[in-house]
Amino acid sequence: MSSTTAPKRKRAGYMERQALTRAIPFMIPFALLYLFIYLIPLCYALYKSMYTVGRSGLGISAPEPKFTGFSNYINVLTDPVFMSSMGRVLLIGLIQVPVMLILALVLALWIDMRTTVGKRFFRILYFLPYALPGVIAGLMWSFLYAPSLSPIVKAAEAIGIHLDFTSGNVLPFSIMNIMTWAWTGYNMIIIYSSLQSIPSEIMEAAAIDGLTGWKASWKIKVPMVRPAIILTAVFSIIGTAQLYNEPVVLKGVAPNLSSQYTPIMSALSTLTSNYNTSAAKSVILAIFIGACSAVFFAVTREKEPTK
Amino acid sequence: MSKINKLMLTGVTSMALIFAGCASSSQPAQTPSEGGSSSAASEPVTIDWWGWAPGYKEAAEAFNSSHDNIKLNFEQITSGSQGGYDKMMTAVDAGNAPCLGQVGSETFVNFLAQGKLEPITQYVKDDVKSQFPDAAWKTVSLNNEIYGIPVDSGTMGLFYRADLLKKYNIDVPTTWEEFKAAGEKLHKADPKKYLVNLPTDAYNYSGYAWQAGASWFSTEGDTWVVSMADDANKKVADYWQGLVDAGIASTFPSWDAALNSAWADGTVLTEVGAVWTAGILESEAKDSSGKWAVAPMPTWEGSDAVGNVGGSPNAVLKGCKNPEQAVEAAAWLSTNEAGLTPMIKEGALYPASTTGQELSIMKEGREFFGGQKIYEVFSAESAKVNPNWQWGPLMTTTSAALGDGLGKVSTKEGTVYDALKSAQEATIKEMNTQGYSVK
Repeated sequence: MSSTTAPKRKRAGYMERQALTRAIPFMIPFALLYLFIYLIPLCYALYKSMYTVGRSGLGISAPEPKFTGFSNYINVLTDPVFMSSMGRVLLIGLIQVPVMLILALVLALWIDMRTTVGKRFFRILYFLPYALPGVIAGLMWSFLYAPSLSPIVKAAEAIGIHLDFTSGNVLPFSIMNIMTWAWTGYNMIIIYSSLQSIPSEIMEAAAIDGLTGWKASWKIKVPMVRPAIILTAVFSIIGTAQLYNEPVVLKGVAPNLSSQYTPIMSALSTLTSNYNTSAAKSVILAIFIGACSAVFFAVTREKEPTK
Repeated sequence: MSKINKLMLTGVTSMALIFAGCASSSQPAQTPSEGGSSSAASEPVTIDWWGWAPGYKEAAEAFNSSHDNIKLNFEQITSGSQGGYDKMMTAVDAGNAPCLGQVGSETFVNFLAQGKLEPITQYVKDDVKSQFPDAAWKTVSLNNEIYGIPVDSGTMGLFYRADLLKKYNIDVPTTWEEFKAAGEKLHKADPKKYLVNLPTDAYNYSGYAWQAGASWFSTEGDTWVVSMADDANKKVADYWQGLVDAGIASTFPSWDAALNSAWADGTVLTEVGAVWTAGILESEAKDSSGKWAVAPMPTWEGSDAVGNVGGSPNAVLKGCKNPEQAVEAAAWLSTNEAGLTPMIKEGALYPASTTGQELSIMKEGREFFGGQKIYEVFSAESAKVNPNWQWGPLMTTTSAALGDGLGKVSTKEGTVYDALKSAQEATIKEMNTQGYSVK
């Protein structure tokens, strides 16, 4: 047995090695980029997060960093301001991501239907907001939300309704609205392109069996584009945890919005005075995002066999 | 890699050639001071300068057209509190910072505490030193070491709509008591008008505390004392909260377009701010040109003290390779007529140097203020600025926390005093984290 498999294995190993040597030059550009803009900064942040700004007295001179292990992490995890910023993106994610994805899925299914007219027009229309840079979208919505400038607020006031988009309790929803507006079309396109790859014979077979319209979409198409939906969900979770553009722009018209509203804003707020804390905050956020994505993958994978 | 080096080298040499070309074509003006005259004839030393104040760019051009030995390379960056300071500090860490940076006096201690400034005492000649009052040097010094050259100061005054105060038959208030009474009168006449706007910008607010002698920071031996929430500060905070509650003060966000249009269309009738507010009004509330006037800042009973906001020295950033030339350029900018004129014209800066204060442009009327010679007001007021004000070492933290709190006043999620309390709390907490001695 062993005598016959050994040479085979050897040959296979040789082939693999050859494939690898051929592949290496093609991988170098990616590997270099990955190394320089991802791995090295990550290690640098990890390293810095283990040190503390070492000061004493009035501290009017450059500080001497001290190694303090995980003390920055303990400080950050017990900091109510940072933890509430984490809670805020969690809340926004739990509400906004499902709403947006359901919307994106329904729109994608609708555009994919044979009976729909003006497909191309609606496809572009829904996708259009994504083409706008996030900051521009934020500025536009700021104008629509601003208590003293907004035409919406003014119109509502004219008929006796007082609208307030920028008070503390409403702000998360105002932000969710901007995010949904900007990203639904993008997610719709991903799901839609996945729908396009479903062979038409399957839908024809279903139609012969009497399954048509929305029912057919739900029972056949949705399960078939599940990977695309999971992909958009993970992207959305990551995007929400890294929320930055929208609240920062909105702060111009809503000064009550905290300068540490989201974890990234919080990390940036201490960047110059206390880089080590910022590093710890970034690492915690990265771990949080990784954990969320992993949990989501685990949950969605479990269901597969029952199908 | 070597290719990149070569490319950069050719880039640098061609740039040097361009500069040399510029230098030879410009008329050889008086070479200022003695200083490093060795390189005067040959290649000019390039000094990079980052800032955002209006008129700086034109000042740099004026400098370059009169100097062969130094080339000032100005780059417009976003204003300090909006990210400019972060950019400077990061650049110092990365080793590619400019020699000169606009660092507001309120953030100067912050930069020192981060070790981001270069001591330049030895390069500041006596003839430069004597052109500034001692108070100006105080804002750029620590332990008898100088770290920058003062440019302007931010003496405060009352900017008001002369036409509208007249319309509502309101006399220009001289005390805060009269100010409040004027506000009540206005509110009664038209509840949709406001006398003033409560700033959400921490530094704009700081001027009111400064005037009242309500200090935020002080030192006792080797320990910082943070007193943002003491009784003196509570008095000022409660006064402003009272204005908001009575509908006298509006709550537009600082720097927002909504405030600009409220100034322009007469929704907000006055602004109590630093002299450079004139420049902001002139550019952001153009439509109301000719209708404004300036009076001294309203005072508290029993004191004629005035507040100050800002004033931005040109600091020499750590790692500067030509500090001597950087000081020479900065000193010229702050004292020479050709350098100061665009800053005064565009940004309504009030020069820190006595030579600057004596320029003829300082005696001219400004069109926006109906031809009023506004600098006469500020010149008289600047002598009354409360000299005992100390900034803290972590102003980025302090100002962000205070700004957040002030922003909550408009939505009634907090009061002005709450804002001060939370800013004090955040500041002390961060100071403790970093190991400062604080109480």
